[in-house]
Amino acid sequence: MKRLTAIFVVLMLAAGTAFAGQTGAMLSKESIVEKIQKQGVLRVGMSTFVPWAMKDKNGELIGFEIDVAKKLAKDMGVKIEFVPTAWSGIIPALLTGKFDVIIGGMGITPERNLKVNFTMPYEFSGMSMVAHKKKADGFSGVEDFNKKEVTIAVRMGTTAEQAARKFMPKAQFKLFENESQALQELNLGRVHAVVSSAPMPAFHALKFPDKLFVPIKENFTKEPIGFALRKGDYDALNFFNNWILINHASGFLKERQTYWFETKEWERLVQ
Amino acid sequence: MVALALVAAAISFFLSRMGSVLAYEWDWSAIPRYFMFRDGETGRLVPNILLKGFFTTIKLSIWATVLAFVLGTLSGIMGARGDGFQRFVSRTYVETVRNVPSLVLLIIFYYFVSSQFLDILGLDEWLRRQSPGVREFTGFILADPGSINAFASAVAALALYEGAYISEIVRGGILGLPRGQWEAAYSIGLSGPKTFRLVILPQAFRQVAFPLAGQFISTIKDSAIVSVISIQELTFQGMELMSATFLTFEVWITVTLLYFALTFPLSRAISLLEKRSAPRE
Amino acid sequence: MHLRRNLIKSVLFIAFLAAVLTLGYQNLEYNWQWYRLKAYFFSGQGMDIVPGLLMQGLAVTLKISGIGLVLSLFLGGVSAVARLSPFPVLRILAWLYVETIRNTPLLIQIFLVYFVISPVLDISAFWSAVWALSLFEGAYASEIIRSGILGIPKGQVEAALGLGLSRPVIYYKVIIPQMLRTTLPMLAGQSVSLIKDSALVSTISIYDLTMQAQKIVSETFLTFEIWFAVALCYLIITASLSFFIRKLEIRMKFIH
Repeated sequence: MKRLTAIFVVLMLAAGTAFAGQTGAMLSKESIVEKIQKQGVLRVGMSTFVPWAMKDKNGELIGFEIDVAKKLAKDMGVKIEFVPTAWSGIIPALLTGKFDVIIGGMGITPERNLKVNFTMPYEFSGMSMVAHKKKADGFSGVEDFNKKEVTIAVRMGTTAEQAARKFMPKAQFKLFENESQALQELNLGRVHAVVSSAPMPAFHALKFPDKLFVPIKENFTKEPIGFALRKGDYDALNFFNNWILINHASGFLKERQTYWFETKEWERLVQ
Repeated sequence: MVALALVAAAISFFLSRMGSVLAYEWDWSAIPRYFMFRDGETGRLVPNILLKGFFTTIKLSIWATVLAFVLGTLSGIMGARGDGFQRFVSRTYVETVRNVPSLVLLIIFYYFVSSQFLDILGLDEWLRRQSPGVREFTGFILADPGSINAFASAVAALALYEGAYISEIVRGGILGLPRGQWEAAYSIGLSGPKTFRLVILPQAFRQVAFPLAGQFISTIKDSAIVSVISIQELTFQGMELMSATFLTFEVWITVTLLYFALTFPLSRAISLLEKRSAPRE
Repeated sequence: MHLRRNLIKSVLFIAFLAAVLTLGYQNLEYNWQWYRLKAYFFSGQGMDIVPGLLMQGLAVTLKISGIGLVLSLFLGGVSAVARLSPFPVLRILAWLYVETIRNTPLLIQIFLVYFVISPVLDISAFWSAVWALSLFEGAYASEIIRSGILGIPKGQVEAALGLGLSRPVIYYKVIIPQMLRTTLPMLAGQSVSLIKDSALVSTISIYDLTMQAQKIVSETFLTFEIWFAVALCYLIITASLSFFIRKLEIRMKFIH
């Protein structure tokens, strides 16, 4: 028994003293740009948002973000690794070093910016809405949805949730971990509407024209989307900012944006 | 007969309501593709996300059970035979784990503990430096370099969780043995530790073999919750698939059946073996 | 002497754990803001205290667990009796119920009940959560109760039959009291599981403790503070439940 205790204590001690929390210090000392090049791999945190990032028929990741991240890795001369992460935990995962950068359609907001650094926007997105024909019959403006008896489903922790709460403070909200669950609620007619970033609501309404419709034609917010990275790493921030500048100028971002958000060519890749 | 008629009536009522209320367009034809598909270029069958997720679930459960077994046995022995201090350590561990939801435990473990300890080990960096053969092998039995840290912390968290239950099973097994065993061993001149190793422990393990096997099934099911920390196992892949295709019902039903296919034969086999070995006692 | 050495070792162990935790705590590049936590438990001043979001969530968790406990015991009891009944149809149905539930993950069951079954039968989100949980725990309770009933010697029932008691009376007077005594510890463990498992209903947007925590975390990013607080909440509930049940056990043993 003595030996058992000894083994136990030694294990704990070794684990404790040798490793306890050097990560925090390590994470900030070295710029991730350097680390990425040393290891030859860029680790990108993302989450499924149609058509920003999703799995195609063969189980491969495709989408706007995926194209952006792949090009970024290619320009850095390293391999890419995607780390699919639950959206509600994506910022804690970045802070604790599960990956190097979030390229996941993340809207720049003051609350998030207090915890992470953002690059300049590489894309703008807006919130739009898709509603149930029977439940939201005759609704045509934000004020129609801003009522106590209206229920809206959104994906938890997204800027869609924030926008919905801001524009429709009186409505009730159902929060889900995934967008598909929110849309399922809508299809079942248990909520009046789903708020999500464009162009997904419009696409979804097109898919089920006899059940759903788009009550508000124009997007009701305009949000800058940036890469998110850990605080204190100004080298990386500078590098990513300039990468975005260059790819704005070269037209790469615009071209990809058109493909994913304005055409529906990619749909055959998914279904 | 009445019961049977009632059940039939309930099922048919349910199905008819399902048709009218949901107005759901079933599309089962899309599902097989997500198990396996034929690669257009090479013409070979390639496993797709559902099958990959299925294997990840199996790998995860096996590793977690192995680790949990070591941890649980250690803690169980300490709880049953240790001095006051060892019993205290064992109880602290078991009671903490058993009284906190696995979801909460997992989240704390993933963000707090694993980023403190696991990341520093640099498993992923070490793996990336290995030859492709080694990488493929570890990818097969563990996970790819990109997800090895998450995989390791999921295994560790699951093992920590299941270990507490195994600890209780082992402790019960040791304490459940009649005192006469000790006395008999003592009378033939065996020392305390020797008695424990040669007489008590083998018997205790035989006693607890079936509950332990049952715990393995629990691990398979509990592994579903690691989807929240983004391990790409069956449940996670199912959710991803739903997000991309919106085939909600088809995907959920398929995933349920896959879990069932994994655990049901196992639990049947265990209970059959248990029955068969019972009369010999 | 032994006692004191154990005490010293235990204290050292705790001190060591605390040291590792504090080291980790300080070294993590994380801006700890414990002071923001209070508002999520209680707000308001003086006499009129308003429960915060976490407290509201706690109330929902307790409500779901409470109803779930009663329902699951009921389902477990009924299916256990059905499995031991002389009617094969009932036996098969109960067996099917127990085996399907015990061989699939709860998370999947909750989704299935909420997204597939509840729209058809028109059940609200709250009640789908309660039903999914009760069905799940009921299957485990069923096995416990069945083993308890089977554990009662046959002679007891035969003796009761010989006395001319009817079946329901035998169940009520002979079987249930004895079964309760042997199965209470296991049923108690199951009720602790029920409370813990109720955390999973957060996935279908029930505002329970875990859901409120997730929501607060996603808004404020107070990740660690909130999760530690929530873990403590669960620990307090389940530990006090265990304590209460142990007291009950001791009392029951005294009476008999």
